[in-house]
Amino acid sequence: MTALWSLKYGFGSLSEPGVGFITFFAGAILALLSLLLFFSSFRGKEKPADLRELWAGLDVKKVLYVLMLLVVYPVLLRPAGFPLSTFVLLFLLFRVKGSYGIWTTLFASFFVTAVSYLVFQVWLQVQLPRGILG
Amino acid sequence: MEVFHHLLFGLQVAVQPVNLLFCFIGVLIGTLVGVLPGLGPVAAISLLLPATFHAPPVASIIMLSGIYYGAMYGGSTTSILVNIPGEAASVVTTIDGYQMARQGRAGAALGISAFGSFIAGTLGVVGLAFLAPPLASVALKFGPPEYFSLMILGLTVLTFLAGGSMVKSLMMACVGVIIGNIGLDLVAAQPRFTFGLDILLDGVGLVPLVMGLFGVSEVLLNIEEKLDKQAVFETKVKGLLPNRKDWRESILPILRGSVLGFFLGILPGGGAVISSFVSYGVEKRLSRHPEEFGKGAIAGVAGPEAANNSAVSGTFIPLVSLGIPANVTMALFLGALMIHGIQPGPLFITQHPDIFWGLIISMYLGNVMLLVLNLPLLGIWVRLVRVPYGILFPLILLLCMIGVYTLNNNVVEIFIMLIFGVFGYLNRKIGFEGAPFIIALVLGPMMEKCLRQSLLISRGDLGIFFTRPISAILMGLAVFSIIMTLLPAFKKKKGLIGEDVQ
Repeated sequence: MTALWSLKYGFGSLSEPGVGFITFFAGAILALLSLLLFFSSFRGKEKPADLRELWAGLDVKKVLYVLMLLVVYPVLLRPAGFPLSTFVLLFLLFRVKGSYGIWTTLFASFFVTAVSYLVFQVWLQVQLPRGILG
Repeated sequence: MEVFHHLLFGLQVAVQPVNLLFCFIGVLIGTLVGVLPGLGPVAAISLLLPATFHAPPVASIIMLSGIYYGAMYGGSTTSILVNIPGEAASVVTTIDGYQMARQGRAGAALGISAFGSFIAGTLGVVGLAFLAPPLASVALKFGPPEYFSLMILGLTVLTFLAGGSMVKSLMMACVGVIIGNIGLDLVAAQPRFTFGLDILLDGVGLVPLVMGLFGVSEVLLNIEEKLDKQAVFETKVKGLLPNRKDWRESILPILRGSVLGFFLGILPGGGAVISSFVSYGVEKRLSRHPEEFGKGAIAGVAGPEAANNSAVSGTFIPLVSLGIPANVTMALFLGALMIHGIQPGPLFITQHPDIFWGLIISMYLGNVMLLVLNLPLLGIWVRLVRVPYGILFPLILLLCMIGVYTLNNNVVEIFIMLIFGVFGYLNRKIGFEGAPFIIALVLGPMMEKCLRQSLLISRGDLGIFFTRPISAILMGLAVFSIIMTLLPAFKKKKGLIGEDVQ
């Protein structure tokens, strides 16, 4: 696909390679290799592992949950501001793996948020969005 | 002797208070990430890349390299005491180091690994000081075709050494080249694959990409594990100084490990992990008591620990003399240098003597600092291993987020990081390696430039890569390394040295 796409940018000629020259070849080789892998997986004696087996016995829900939090965080970062959104993120993340009390978690999240705010905003002078608390 | 003159100059640079401070911070952070499992030097260096943007280039490079060799020290501590390798290069150390600890000889094991690392680090630095400048002058004869062939060789050797399937590694390399080509075209200044996003005009940033690929994906893999870390075996550490018998048994392995590690480090795709495995194998074969290996042989700790430290100096050689990174960590160094507007290559040492010689001396000073830092502070490092992952991972994620955001105050960078985090996570699930991808990504634009220049020189004749002698040899080696992988005898060996390259 990439190879076809690079054609759009002009393949050029060998003497004057065009803009899409390298990407065309990389894409073409990639396509060839995927075909190779695709067919060799049929030929192999062992059956290719079922996709589900890769996650057997593992906590997929936690991964998806953490990912969801990580996607929401940058969305909220500007409107809600760094301190608030970081505090909420940390609070929820600390509860993913730990079995600590609500108060401990609240305190820890507050502490880390405060420290990171101090370090980055005050000490390193990074412009973090302040949002509604700013 | 010109070298000593240069070294004195380097000393002047390295003892400047700023540089000493950065060196100390570097080795401290390095030890820390070496101790903490699930956070290796690659992730730590990418985390701290943004922090170095405002520092002077010499200080940044000194700090980043401090993290690299500091991690090699720190990793061995946890391998010996709690049987958890803090990073990949210390996996071998667990075999005999942990056994020694169980026999109550943890002190001797830690001592010999610290001294061995120190000796090897010193020898490696000397090697770097004497070898890099002559190599750079040879590299001056290289034109675009030679460079292109060299990069092809580097990529093939790397994919050959990387664990898992060769086809998969090559595929990752191709994806890396394509992603590396995102952004403005070098010659015609035409945007490629930017999807109309302004932020992609400069290409995909190295920092968000690496942080996603190595930081976020690592965290994701660790989160899904249901079991907590294994119970920690309690040891009391006493008598850090190895006795005379220990020294007699380990001095030769240390020296052999140093030389071995250094030269394996120079090879593209080589580095700390491979050299520690090879050194262990060599010592076991040469030993008069091979049956002791695995049951607490001190040579099995001394050799690999020496090897992984001198390998660090070795990996710098291709970067400072040819401008080509030998492994992922060096690719990050290349990125860091380029951010400061410095192009590593044959002219690097003559154009930036302060960075090169300052770095060399700082590596030596850093080794002394590590010796001082590690032995008395052992207790603290060991306690750090017991920080539960549930507390650690939100902090790692937060650091990634803030670090990436502060690059140019843009949340799009965070999304790029997350995309590559998921990409890396899925890839590792199905056995695709991240290392060829990153190297190809960094080399991609360079390769393109060289290829296009060479073809312009030869007026479109691809034969230029095979008629110029140096280029032809390099190409030949590349083809040879591909053929090697197809031979069944090598397929087995490959598995042993897999999982490397970080």
